[in-house]
Amino acid sequence: MLSVSHVSKTFFPGTVNERRALVDVDLHLQEGDFVTVIGSNGAGKSTVLNTIAGRIQQDSGTVTLDGADVSKLKEHQRAAQVGRVFQDPMAGTSPNLTIEENLALADKRGAARGLALGVTRAKRTRFAEALKVLELGLEDRLKTKVGLLSGGQRQALSLLMATFSRPKVLLLDEHTAALDPQRAELVTRLTTKVVQEQQLTTLMVTHNMAQALQVGNRLIMMHEGRIILDVPEQEKAQLTPEDLLSEFAKIKGAALDDKTMLQ
Amino acid sequence: MITALELGLVYAIVALGVYLTFRILNFPDLTVDGSFTSGAATAAILITQQVNPFLATAAAFAVGSLAGLITGLLHTKGNINGLLAGILTMIGLYSINLRIMGGANVPLLNQDTVISGLREVAGVGWTSVLILAVVALCFKLAIDWFLHTDAGLALQATGDNEQMIRSFAVSTDRMKIVGLMLSNGLVGLAGAVVAQHQGFADIGMGIGLILVGLASVILGQAIFGTRVVVQATLAVVLGAVVYRLAIQFALNAGLNPNDMKLMSAVLVIVALLLPQWKGFRRIAQRRRGRSALQAAAKATLTEDAPGKKVG
Repeated sequence: MLSVSHVSKTFFPGTVNERRALVDVDLHLQEGDFVTVIGSNGAGKSTVLNTIAGRIQQDSGTVTLDGADVSKLKEHQRAAQVGRVFQDPMAGTSPNLTIEENLALADKRGAARGLALGVTRAKRTRFAEALKVLELGLEDRLKTKVGLLSGGQRQALSLLMATFSRPKVLLLDEHTAALDPQRAELVTRLTTKVVQEQQLTTLMVTHNMAQALQVGNRLIMMHEGRIILDVPEQEKAQLTPEDLLSEFAKIKGAALDDKTMLQ
Repeated sequence: MITALELGLVYAIVALGVYLTFRILNFPDLTVDGSFTSGAATAAILITQQVNPFLATAAAFAVGSLAGLITGLLHTKGNINGLLAGILTMIGLYSINLRIMGGANVPLLNQDTVISGLREVAGVGWTSVLILAVVALCFKLAIDWFLHTDAGLALQATGDNEQMIRSFAVSTDRMKIVGLMLSNGLVGLAGAVVAQHQGFADIGMGIGLILVGLASVILGQAIFGTRVVVQATLAVVLGAVVYRLAIQFALNAGLNPNDMKLMSAVLVIVALLLPQWKGFRRIAQRRRGRSALQAAAKATLTEDAPGKKVG
């Protein structure tokens, strides 16, 4: 479904700040795969996501989506098939528009946006129905401006919006990191639910190892722009955070402070 | 008074255009200084060549939106800072406007214009004001409608959260260009009507227009509020009328017309600085606090009511 082949990316090449963010990364996701990505800061996790989304243009290599090479497509063109939730709860919604207007925007992903009314009565019913899944009572506040919602509510709404029009690929970039534990738990639960229901091909970056082990059917560990560990479904079930840490230490040949990993 | 109201209602269309860029797209577009005159020049030349005045005014919209297209392309495809892109187009348009008119001004005396048409129907009085008010409201309603369509929502989101709307497969470049074209089209059209109202098109008529637009938007929204789009656009229309009346009063009070631009500038500066002043913020807060109190009181009252009935 999603293929990242031999992708490399260097930031600020030829300067003292040169940083090799991705080094010959190869990653292939089957349809319905739910892959969690862990790694220390600067490991290249977010760069992989941004390269797939088209926000960052890779120096070499290709990105293939559902059999089509999208390497040359711009961010908004790829977005027709790629849903995203960002780390910042403010990033995924439009604060001055109402909840129903935000959903209307999400509903039109990949479709032509013409001069038909964005929110109609029929759509409103559909939006309210969809919002019930969040169990936050937002279905009764369709005309509330999104800017008035809390971070947790906005992130839950962002997740619903990102998956609303069933994208081919869902990219989650530490989307629970900025939330309090309770809200993070809620958003994680919603994520698992919606990914399972829609059988979405998903790539989720996280700093939380317990979360990385708890959700998804495959786990990837990155370090200094490379994938250093790829755990398939059967092995992942038996893994513990301690295993991951020692695995990391073994591969890198150096003990690692778990604080850097857990952040 | 009647003339001030009429002009205010025509300039309301300018204010609606400025509202689209300044408020909706969050883009301070200086193109309007040039596109206003372009619209006036285009319509004036066409009218002197016996073209139907309504057609000539529509042509002014097209020319204005073309100016917006240029600024949009410079900004999005050329990566030129928005302010600079607007200034570049505005300066370039000065020469183009002279070319269109073939001189510094074009008189429209004894020509059939949309305003002479208005005078035949309604003369100069409350009827003509009413007709122009209906026209201004039609533009307001058209913009309200557009901003609530799928395309309009994408336009609003582009000014609100660019990263978000791009992740929903919208080209923000294209939305900005659409917004700039629509805005400058409206401004060009208003320029055409103003030229027909005053009886000539003049190379200098657009100078400082951005301030007129901004003053109307800021004034209107400060007085009449901005909660939802429908309210915000009405505030913008009324703001343009209030601004024009204020100018009229100042002139009647004996102010030198040459000082008008300075006054507009000072007015906008005051409107921008006042909300930052601590004392003003305290007053606004107290007012908000009071309305919250009132709302709370109302809520308690309505909640009390059934209890009283039972009692």
